[in-house]
Amino acid sequence: MTAISASGLTKRYGRVLAVDGLSFAIQPGEIVGFLGPNGAGKTTTLRMLAGLVRPSGGSCRVLDGSVPGASLRQVGTMIEEPSFYPYLSGRANLKHAATLHGGVPDRRIDEVLEFVRMERAARKRVRAYSQGMRQRLALARALLWKPRVLLLDEPTNGLDPAGIAEVRSALKTVAVQGVTVLVSSHILPEIEKLVERILAIDRGRLRFDGPLHGLLDAAGAGSVSFEIEATQGRALLDALADLGLEPAPAGEAGARVNVPVAMAPELLSELASKGVKVLEARRGSATLEDAYLRLVGAEGRPS
Amino acid sequence: MSATVNVVRAELFKAFRKRRFYFLAGLYWLLLPAVALVTAAVLDRNLGASFANQSGQVVQVVQGFASPFGMARLALMAPALMSPTAYIIAVALFAGLFIGEERSQHMWKTVLAVQPARLAVLAGKLVAGMIVLGVLLAGALVTCTLAGAMGTLFLPTTFAGPWGQVAGLMALQWLQLLAALLLAYLLVFLVRSGTLGIILVIFLPALLEGLYTVLNTLSVMRPLTRFNAVFQALRLKQAWAALPHYFFNPNLYVPARHPLADFLQSAGTPQGADLGPLGTLLGRDLTLPHAAAVMAGYAAVFLVLLAWLIRRRDVE
Repeated sequence: MTAISASGLTKRYGRVLAVDGLSFAIQPGEIVGFLGPNGAGKTTTLRMLAGLVRPSGGSCRVLDGSVPGASLRQVGTMIEEPSFYPYLSGRANLKHAATLHGGVPDRRIDEVLEFVRMERAARKRVRAYSQGMRQRLALARALLWKPRVLLLDEPTNGLDPAGIAEVRSALKTVAVQGVTVLVSSHILPEIEKLVERILAIDRGRLRFDGPLHGLLDAAGAGSVSFEIEATQGRALLDALADLGLEPAPAGEAGARVNVPVAMAPELLSELASKGVKVLEARRGSATLEDAYLRLVGAEGRPS
Repeated sequence: MSATVNVVRAELFKAFRKRRFYFLAGLYWLLLPAVALVTAAVLDRNLGASFANQSGQVVQVVQGFASPFGMARLALMAPALMSPTAYIIAVALFAGLFIGEERSQHMWKTVLAVQPARLAVLAGKLVAGMIVLGVLLAGALVTCTLAGAMGTLFLPTTFAGPWGQVAGLMALQWLQLLAALLLAYLLVFLVRSGTLGIILVIFLPALLEGLYTVLNTLSVMRPLTRFNAVFQALRLKQAWAALPHYFFNPNLYVPARHPLADFLQSAGTPQGADLGPLGTLLGRDLTLPHAAAVMAGYAAVFLVLLAWLIRRRDVE
């Protein structure tokens, strides 16, 4: 059984092709990162998987059931900005959702509130909530009926670093319980810590589908990443640019740069010949951000 | 079925936490009987012992609207005699709550993600709307009757009256409000704005019916005989003339306005008196079965359109 699958999934809004023939399959228990620049079609895809938007072509299935259909009752969603009834308290909003879904005992509301650390704030009306509190409450709501699949769109939006770490930990916990998670986020280091597999789309088309290390390896192929520190940062950056490289500043007098494998052994002597005094040079590993930027190109922005 | 029940329970959970329900209930359950009792007391105090009551007419009038039965009848009639009627205002406000708010608070994506059975969501929202309206109407019937009973302590009133008829008319009026509720849901959903939807619900039927009146007036003017000729040629004249019998507003309030003749009679108007344009406005020439059939037709059309829209529309 596949947890989530799409076959030739297409969505067209008038002349705009938002999603273009997307096909993939996600197995139960997988945590998959969904990446793409703004407007790539991530949210539209998630909306189609949640049964909120009708595909213009192709199809998608969740837990082997067609979408829309009864299998969606086993899906928890957080799509874009979380929405609530502002005049109800956090707890009352969860009670409303629990009643609407059916089969959720009251004690489960307490469990999910405790899980997202919102027990106290749940008594306040939602209109008084911060963005971070709304995100946590939305995650609690998505977990209310113990879903087998979670579709999460930017679940860490508006959270502080501690909150981001908590959400990451929470998602790992539910994944251990066998829940399939498809999560989009623009905080790439977080995705890197969370997921095992990446689906990357650009302009509605699938650009990469594979394990995280596969994307990182591809990013590192043919080049070596260096983190260099010198006495003068400006001179270092200029010298690297003179060598035809594209350095990125790192710290006060440092730079990160990808160097072609053939050039790597000579890099330090080249810098010395240009009068740059190197204090430290470390070989780095490709990050998801490097890999992602390489994948979507210069115009692609993480979303 | 269980999905619909879940939606009904969730919507009622929400509705009974909204102030607008208690505001409407307060107006309907308390203000209406209070005003009626005070008016009856003032009438009785000032005219009860005067020449105006020589043949017992003042007592008849007070019995007509301030007795327990009169009050119950008032709870049915009074909301339909305002403009816009309290019935349509209540319907529009609840449509704003059950449908408009999902739009204004961006809740459709949440509601339909939590409960993906869209037709069950629609059915649940309709049932919840009818329950809330039913609670309002039944509550008014009870509080008005109690106020009338209280009035028997200081007014020359009795419990006498055809109670079954009023209860039946109240039930029929409540059922006919389903068509109004469906129209309200449809308009609020269609225009994607709670406020605009509410305004349309209140004024659109009256506007269309007013447009008919204007066209009707124009068609009988001599310089516009060509307009008339087209109608004659198409044999539409009779259908055109019969159109008001199928209008939304007059048919909607037929049960509530039905006891008006009895009430006017108790106030001195002879039975079967020609009320002129008022009689047409109040739909006196429309029978209860006719009105029920017309409103059932409207309800069916609105339901089909609404179900089609809710099933097909993308939720952004």
